[in-house]
Amino acid sequence: MQAPRNQGPAPVGIVYNTSMTRPDAALALAAMYPMEGNRESHMGSVCVVGAGFNAAVFCDIISRLYSFGTRNGNSELAVGLAVESGVPDSPMVKRAVEGAYKRTLQRVSDTSEPTAVLRNGVIFNSESVVILSGPATYLAKSLDLLGTKDLYKQRVKRLVIVDAGVGNKDAAALRKVIAEWPTPIFFCSKEVGEALRFPGADLDKDFSWAPAHPVVDAYKAFKPMPWDAPMYDVAATHYAVHPDSSFFELSPAGTISVADDGAMKFVPGSGSVKSIGIVPTKKADLLAMLITAATAKPVVPAPPGRGGRGGSGRGAFGGSGGRGVLPAIVAQ
Amino acid sequence: MFITRKSINRRSMLKGLGAALSLPLLDSMIPAFAEASNAPIRLAWFYLPNGIDMRNWTPPNEGTLPADLPNILAPFSSVREDVTVISNLTANWGRPLQIGAGDHGRALAAYMTGVEVYRTAGADLKLTTSADQIAARANGHLTTLPSLEIGLEEARQTGNCDNGYSCAYTYNVSWKTDTQPLPPISDPKNLFERLFGSDIAEPPAAHARRLAMRQSILDQVLGDTHKLESTLGPSDKRKLDEYLTSVREIEIQVEKASKSTTVIDPGMEKPFGVPPEYADYFRLMTDMLIVAFKADITRISTFMIGREGSTRAYPEIGVPDGHHPLTHHMGNMEMLEKVRQINVLHAQAMAAFIKKMKETKEGDSNLLDNSLIVYGSGLSDGNVHTHDQLPTLLCGRGQGYINPGRHMIYQRETPVANLFATMLDRVGVRPEHVGDSTGELAGLSLNS
Repeated sequence: MQAPRNQGPAPVGIVYNTSMTRPDAALALAAMYPMEGNRESHMGSVCVVGAGFNAAVFCDIISRLYSFGTRNGNSELAVGLAVESGVPDSPMVKRAVEGAYKRTLQRVSDTSEPTAVLRNGVIFNSESVVILSGPATYLAKSLDLLGTKDLYKQRVKRLVIVDAGVGNKDAAALRKVIAEWPTPIFFCSKEVGEALRFPGADLDKDFSWAPAHPVVDAYKAFKPMPWDAPMYDVAATHYAVHPDSSFFELSPAGTISVADDGAMKFVPGSGSVKSIGIVPTKKADLLAMLITAATAKPVVPAPPGRGGRGGSGRGAFGGSGGRGVLPAIVAQ
Repeated sequence: MFITRKSINRRSMLKGLGAALSLPLLDSMIPAFAEASNAPIRLAWFYLPNGIDMRNWTPPNEGTLPADLPNILAPFSSVREDVTVISNLTANWGRPLQIGAGDHGRALAAYMTGVEVYRTAGADLKLTTSADQIAARANGHLTTLPSLEIGLEEARQTGNCDNGYSCAYTYNVSWKTDTQPLPPISDPKNLFERLFGSDIAEPPAAHARRLAMRQSILDQVLGDTHKLESTLGPSDKRKLDEYLTSVREIEIQVEKASKSTTVIDPGMEKPFGVPPEYADYFRLMTDMLIVAFKADITRISTFMIGREGSTRAYPEIGVPDGHHPLTHHMGNMEMLEKVRQINVLHAQAMAAFIKKMKETKEGDSNLLDNSLIVYGSGLSDGNVHTHDQLPTLLCGRGQGYINPGRHMIYQRETPVANLFATMLDRVGVRPEHVGDSTGELAGLSLNS
């Protein structure tokens, strides 16, 4: 449900297409919920593509940990899952999924159909942004559904395509998305993510507000500590929601070249895609802000018209993150 | 072996002065050496208003349906091997989204169209062609009536019925075009006339005379009947006799209902000539549907068990309250129990229809085996208006395509239009889009 028109602009919806196989994806998801609490954005849907059931469970655990109330007529956030044979479960999420966190998803049929959840996530909000980090298979498929291209044209402000240096596992689908997407596309290159690294040594301290935290579990499970994870998806999320912040600069228009193995490269020239770059003088501030955002405590959603976007709250990406902190966020 | 049998055209009719009556599927209509599967597949959608008490609907486990089905589905126990419970389907465009109130209007209008429902209480309706009409557009030319729209509440077409949504949205599940709903026939007499009355316009004077003389439509076509009988073998003679008997029985029921002076308070506008008790009304209308299917008058039907937001009361089962107000029970156990009783009453009526379909022989098979019939709603929890995890029961086998007797649980958000696309595919209709469908439902068929 949207805020009434006379109570400030509605937060922009986020549709997140992820494989949830890297710590930056977990950090990005953790950043999205405090942003929702501060009415900077609103979760439309999360769709896991290119990973097994446990990756969807992990997203569900994060959702349960951070969010409250009902959404879109459903009792929980819809977590899409591309059910594909032979896709292994991500070792990163194993510890969190086997932990004692609350979860809604018990079986694959509790997840949502991927194409529908991507489209419906856009329908749920009057304005949305789409972050494409996982394989583009279902986002491409959604473009062929009845009226969906027009829907995206009307409601999606921008698509941010993330390059985490591992290539997109569905090169053909990614090419289709780039060719047919009806609104502006921005490319968040691997250089951006690699320049913005989460300080692994601070992980426990930054999440010390929770006795146990699934993101901490996932981060530590990914590879031996300490290590500093590139924040590919966190940076892309920030740009998607706050494109007019002063931290980033845009390249001249071009396109994204996609190799058969899914490797991406921004090619200036013909095309309308713009590549995101970090303003060199703002890199330290940007890094600090992204770390704060990714480790922010959950907040009770502000009532419409009070602390809305552009209102009094600074928001998770604004760094305050403290308004209306809920007391009961421990793992149960 | 010599084949000498001459086949009768499937669309042959018995004709008389101002009357024409379709024929049932006879052996003589099946060309020699034809496959037994020559019988057509029928599609039907039965729409339940106001959602369901889902606690008493959903079987606890996936897989083979147990003998002890949940309370509301229990009436289907004896035909559980012929039905499939499908869980987790969604009608996304029924949701409030950016609009807000008006869930009943959207629930019905979006159910079989799968598109956004343009909010208006005026004449500027905007939707799209519903799944049944996509099928009718493709295959309707094969039968006397392209499709048949039936309902148990008289349809209103104008006015504001739900928070700015036109009554056309809450009363019509079938939409021929973006702007043209197909109102359901709720008067048994009108339905009878539609099915068996005439393709040939009966002169008003002759019509009045026939009614005054209490003549049966069968009397009108008597001459043609005798002529046809003389050409039929014993098996077909028996089939024709059974068919004509069932038409006559319905005719008598319709006549009886039209003379009924019983006064009831159904909490709704009661069409003239309607049996006072719900179960009788349902049976009379579905009996006609069975005959229409058997005689191949149509292969496609929608059936509104009630209009969305129906306030019908059911005093005959001790529920004098309106259905819709009861569904907003806010957890009140007494109201919930009454909702359950209404849900059970509907299920009993539907199960009786399904059993009768199964008992209706067709070649070596039966009508149910040659059908795909949805019993469902665009709302699940009527109290809070949820449009996901919809109650959906698929009856029949679609001529051996469906592997029924199971509870199938799909991923959430799976559009209910995916089921409809699967049904259309079974009758050879494969449009580019069926509403907001994202594909067909995998796993329903014997081979998947």
